[in-house]
Amino acid sequence: METIIILLTGFLFSCGFYLMLQRNFTRMLIGLLFLSQAANLVILVLPGLGTGISAIVRYGATVPPPGHPDPLPQALILTAIVIGFGVIAFAIVLLKKAHHDLKTHDLDHLTETDV
Amino acid sequence: MEWYLIGLVALLGGSCVWPRLAREHSVAAGWLSALVPAGIFVWLVLQAGAIADGKFPVWSVEWVPQMGVALGFRLDGPGLLLSLLVTGIGALILIYGGGYLKGSAQSAPFFGFVQLFMLAMLGVASADNLLVLFVFWELTSVASYLLIGLNHQDETARKSALRALLVTGGGGVALLAGILLVGAVGGSFSLSELQGRGDLIRSSPFYVGIFILVVLGAFTKSAQVPFHFWLPDAMVAPTPVSAYLHSATMVKAGVFLLAKFLPILGGTVLWHDTLTLVGASTMLAGGVLALAQTDLKRLLAYSTMSALGTLVMLLGMGSDLAIKAAMVFLVVHALYKAPLFMIAGVVDKATGTRNTTLLQGLGKPLPILSFAAALAAFSMSGLPPFIGFIGKELLYEAEMGAVHFSILLTTLGFAANAVNVAVALKVGISPFRGKMDMPQINPKARRKGLLIGPLLLAVTGALFGLFPGWLGEGLIDAAVRDIIGHPFDSSLKLWHGFSLLLAISAITVIVGILLYVYLDRIRSALILGLQRFPSGASEQFDRLLSSAVAAAGRITLFFQHGNLRLYLAVIILALALLTTAALVSTGLPGWPENGPVRFLPVGISLLMGMAGIVAIRSRSTVMAVLAMGGVAYGVALLFALVGAPDLALTQVLVETLTLVLFALVMRKLPRIDASPEAPRGRGRWELGIALAGGLALTAGLLAVRAAPLPEDLRVSADMAAWSLPAAHGRNVVNVILVDFRALDTLGEICVLAIAAIGVAGLLLGSGRRNVRAELAVATPLFRTAVSWITPLLYFISVLLLLRGHNEPGGGFIGGLVAGAGLILKRLTHAERPLHAGRGPMLCMAAGIAISLVSTLPAVFSGLPFMQGVWLGSVWLPLVGKTKFGTPFLFDCGVYLVVVGACLLILTRLIRSEDSKPLAQQ
Amino acid sequence: MSDPMREFPLYLCLLVPLAAAIGQILLLGRCRSQRVVAIGSTALLTVLGGMLVAAVKAGGPVVLDAGGWAAPLGIRLQADMLSALMVAITGFIGLCGAIHGLAEVPTSDERRGYHPLYQFLLFGVCGAFLTNDLFNLYVWFEVMLLSSFALLTLGGGKAQIEGAVKYVVLNITASTIFLIGAGVLYATLGTLNFNDVAVRIAAGLGSQAGIRFAAVLLMLAFAIKAGMFPLYGWLPSSYHTPRHTVSAVFAGLLTKVGVYALIRTFGSAFVAERDFILPILWTVSLLTMVIGVCGAMSQFHTRRILSFHIISQIGYMTLGLALGTAAAISAAIFYIIHHIIVKSNLFFVASVIDRIGGGENLKRTGGLYRSAPWLAGLFLIPALSLGGIPPFSGFWAKLALLKELFNANAWFAGAVALAVGVCTLFSMMKIWAEAFWKDRPAEAKEFRPVGFAHILPIVILAAATIALSVYPSWLFDLADIAAQQLSPAPNQ
Repeated sequence: METIIILLTGFLFSCGFYLMLQRNFTRMLIGLLFLSQAANLVILVLPGLGTGISAIVRYGATVPPPGHPDPLPQALILTAIVIGFGVIAFAIVLLKKAHHDLKTHDLDHLTETDV
Repeated sequence: MEWYLIGLVALLGGSCVWPRLAREHSVAAGWLSALVPAGIFVWLVLQAGAIADGKFPVWSVEWVPQMGVALGFRLDGPGLLLSLLVTGIGALILIYGGGYLKGSAQSAPFFGFVQLFMLAMLGVASADNLLVLFVFWELTSVASYLLIGLNHQDETARKSALRALLVTGGGGVALLAGILLVGAVGGSFSLSELQGRGDLIRSSPFYVGIFILVVLGAFTKSAQVPFHFWLPDAMVAPTPVSAYLHSATMVKAGVFLLAKFLPILGGTVLWHDTLTLVGASTMLAGGVLALAQTDLKRLLAYSTMSALGTLVMLLGMGSDLAIKAAMVFLVVHALYKAPLFMIAGVVDKATGTRNTTLLQGLGKPLPILSFAAALAAFSMSGLPPFIGFIGKELLYEAEMGAVHFSILLTTLGFAANAVNVAVALKVGISPFRGKMDMPQINPKARRKGLLIGPLLLAVTGALFGLFPGWLGEGLIDAAVRDIIGHPFDSSLKLWHGFSLLLAISAITVIVGILLYVYLDRIRSALILGLQRFPSGASEQFDRLLSSAVAAAGRITLFFQHGNLRLYLAVIILALALLTTAALVSTGLPGWPENGPVRFLPVGISLLMGMAGIVAIRSRSTVMAVLAMGGVAYGVALLFALVGAPDLALTQVLVETLTLVLFALVMRKLPRIDASPEAPRGRGRWELGIALAGGLALTAGLLAVRAAPLPEDLRVSADMAAWSLPAAHGRNVVNVILVDFRALDTLGEICVLAIAAIGVAGLLLGSGRRNVRAELAVATPLFRTAVSWITPLLYFISVLLLLRGHNEPGGGFIGGLVAGAGLILKRLTHAERPLHAGRGPMLCMAAGIAISLVSTLPAVFSGLPFMQGVWLGSVWLPLVGKTKFGTPFLFDCGVYLVVVGACLLILTRLIRSEDSKPLAQQ
Repeated sequence: MSDPMREFPLYLCLLVPLAAAIGQILLLGRCRSQRVVAIGSTALLTVLGGMLVAAVKAGGPVVLDAGGWAAPLGIRLQADMLSALMVAITGFIGLCGAIHGLAEVPTSDERRGYHPLYQFLLFGVCGAFLTNDLFNLYVWFEVMLLSSFALLTLGGGKAQIEGAVKYVVLNITASTIFLIGAGVLYATLGTLNFNDVAVRIAAGLGSQAGIRFAAVLLMLAFAIKAGMFPLYGWLPSSYHTPRHTVSAVFAGLLTKVGVYALIRTFGSAFVAERDFILPILWTVSLLTMVIGVCGAMSQFHTRRILSFHIISQIGYMTLGLALGTAAAISAAIFYIIHHIIVKSNLFFVASVIDRIGGGENLKRTGGLYRSAPWLAGLFLIPALSLGGIPPFSGFWAKLALLKELFNANAWFAGAVALAVGVCTLFSMMKIWAEAFWKDRPAEAKEFRPVGFAHILPIVILAAATIALSVYPSWLFDLADIAAQQLSPAPNQ
């Protein structure tokens, strides 16, 4: 099953890349979001998916039951999700401000600071 | 040696002090500042005896041992010679400059930079370590740049200064490479040691490289062809600068370097041929070009260039006689060129022009000056009994005694000397003959300080001619000896008896006089001839420079086009290429390992794939956003299905928030349709790149999955094992977040806080103060529903917080739920203005503070930073038995930060919308 | 064994900026107190950094396992000489920025949270330098990055927003690539700790494909953040847009974190992959040096020239890394420290030129040689140093690098390095000729007075450069120690 998920992430990466190359700023942001979703999936799937059992120690045991997905990538992904949210929130507001100040969301027009 | 160093330090100090004085009292500054170089001069003279005996003053201290650089000084013969020139002429120049620049704004910087230059030149003359020499070498270039640019408001001055800097700097860079190589081959950077290892270096395979690099450095500094063009252009500098740097001292540095390197690199065919060829060409070119000039200073500049060529040629010839001629000529040239320059300056000041065709009749108003001019001119022409005569004789002697090409060299030398005569007469005699055009000369030219330099130097030239032994024993002997490596007796004599040499000298003078007489005609012929060449070397250099800059600009524009999408495309392509390279270079992987296939996750994956396609192909961006939401929720479902409940909850909540943000922002953006224009074909390259990136990544990921690390070898194995026993938590993921890897979480909450502050900062000032929440959901029904839901949400959030350590939950999820509740509450209070106030900020700050504080009890208990300190356990309803300790406190801090951040971001965003009356149902 | 006396500078270097950030949030609105806190905390950070350097010099790397969990289970904070040096210089530049900010940052920015963001930035940078864990590094990168996003947009001018868009998007992409790399690394080697990665690779654990894939991803991500060719587009688009103080601190610190990450990753952890990675890095470094200086030569805007210089000089540093020997890395470390001091100084000078020289467009500036000779001298010191003129610090840095290049028979690279140095000098002298020597043209922007706080950082940094120029051997010593502590392998 991991293969299928990996193929899915590859597909999501391609979608993300394609969207990132669009001229519309909003679409580009969406592309970035695709990318981050796919990256999170990658972290989860590479060490191996579990069989649906969560990594929580049951009462009476001292270790989590076998078949749980690796807990460390879960923690990493959680951190990445939250950090990603912070970043995307800022980016979305930047989108708003850019539209408001620069009066465009066509990325090809943003060349003032370079030429 | 200590006195010498004190003198150097005094020069450094002087460069800071005298400019102050010079602003008001330029002349006084000149006299006072000349004391230090004069003192050094005296000290040097006193050392002459010891140096002649071979007892060199040395001084050395470790400077940068890692680079093999010791601040070492060693004054040998050639060094003494150069130092005497630098200090002696330097003192006179300072006095001259004080008078020349009096009242000008350039006076102060002149004193500062000239003393720095003097210091650097003395360093070049006496440094024993090649890298130390290089330090001073480059300092002379910098000082020269600043001095040429004294007239900085004039664009020609700026350009000339830049030209000089680039040429000498470029040569300097080559010299550095050469020094590094010679140091590597010879095993040391000390000149004295290297001079003893000449054979080793000459026989090394790097010899040619070292030779070319060192010689490049010397040639650029000493204005050899084809690097000569900066020298005449440097004449835009004020005359004191030209007299000092660009005739007597700085340009001699290259020759000096060659002299020092002669024992190391000399004696080979390469050395002989290159230096003689280049030197002779420069000698000739300088002479010819000199005849074409009408500006006094440019005349002298080209003739200096010619003299430098002569010196290089002599060093190239390499015979004992040639070296002796070179050392003598070094002194001779300085003794006549410097005064002539100074005189040219006075003439310029007196009449306001430097045009040789106009100048005449200055003999009457400036008698002493014309006397000095005559002396210098006669020395330059090589008339007895001046030192110039001795120098010329030695020159011919060396040329005729050359092993190869003696006839050619002698002829060229003859031509050059003849030109010298003509130039000397034109500069030193011609302006003072005849009757003056102007009624009166500028009285500023009569200042006494302006006379001393030329007079002293010219008279010295005469004296040395009459008593050459003063020069010979001690100075020349020592200089030559230290270059050729064995003792030498120069035996300079004025009179050698009637000989071929005398005859040639005489003929030279006669031809020179003829040249002088017919100078005007020769000049016009030359100018006509030179016009055949499309442009001079300077213009070609300028053109080269500007085309280089233009090319640089085009290259820059090509890569820095400003188009964000192209930048992204490059990154994606780089990713694809690197990944492919990595995979290809490690061989074909096997097929990935797979766990059991379950229907539901596969189904969700397919749905997510479809959502992805929708996102790409939809024309409306709203659809794209929703599709992305679909993908994210799908991911959340996958998380839940594989057994990561915390992840699933967080993902759902975060994605909902993200969608809300999008919704808020996109309300104001006009209906955004798919990319404008985009005719069919244009989308191809984007597709291609995207596919390339995606495929490469997929391949890489499959390859990784083909050989995963067994679970027990991973770090998480220990984490799972110790989660309950050591960290008192059942939810391993939460334990990792707040205990094992709490530092990550600390950073993470800071990221949230920063994002919130950043958003608030972006939005501050937009929108009105007391905007009411105008989302049209403030209906009574909604309000009632919300007023029931929100307490429930708060309760759940606290529950999640308390449970988190042992069940799915935790600070993040709890905080997000609480934040949702608070937002809903705010949205329904339509009467109250929706201003965020300082609440959320304080909440965030409190949260971080609590998390921070929770790391400290460990420190105060002598435990490592951030270690969990546990109190007892408590049984709570709905939660179960929980052990409380600092990790829980940490989680509370996380909770608060999440609440504050969400609140801040959302309320500011809502508030910033312009109040637009939506349909109030 | 935890040794509290040695450890406390280590975690205090993290806690001080964090506590200051919290304080600055609480003090929002009270600008004067905020400024005091800013100066106090950065000064304290500098002192702590110095103490850390001394501690490492005396007793070897200072190690702290956060939470008491031994690495690789927990996150290890490790201050070896390189980290300690970088933290010390961070505090130093932070202090200079705080002083300059006194004069330059307007109250409107302060009310939008300039001070907490500034402290968070330093917090992230210090964390990045002190951590020994790859994912923790990612978190610190994000802290630093998001602070820089926010600082970039403070003030809200159009140019800033446009620059920010490019900066934000490209850096988010780089972060995502970093994340993927971390995921791949964990799946392949089962650990996130740098030292442990090296140990496991040496023990033969993990598939070759996975290791190389992770290495490539990390290299790409760090190369983007460091501003290497061809991924540097975000830098010249954005670095010249925010407040001068912010530009100066960014220029000094942010890209160096990327270089530091490259050194940490490929100088110690992924040493086994050097045969594949270093040649790529080599070629890219040379191209970076050349293309960067092309930009500097052809621009006419002070900060854009300086921004392109950053790129070009980054090439020098990574060239040292790409050579691979401990001596070369030592030269690169010396170069980093020298460059941080000089670059930030030049940005501060550019700020003053903007106020009294007529703006940032060099075609419209002039006359400073006459009107502000003190500034002329203060400009020449870092400018000549950047151009590699002896005896300034830049010369020593270039000399050290050249020596290693020649030792390795890399003649072409040495020639390129020297040629780029001449071009760098040319571009610096262009600023000199246009802003100082040339007369002030009529279209110059109006004169705005400069205060003590504008000039003090310039003087401090110039003094640091002079100290480093006259007596460079102490830094060479420290850099040597740093390079030795990096590579477990013996000197090649």
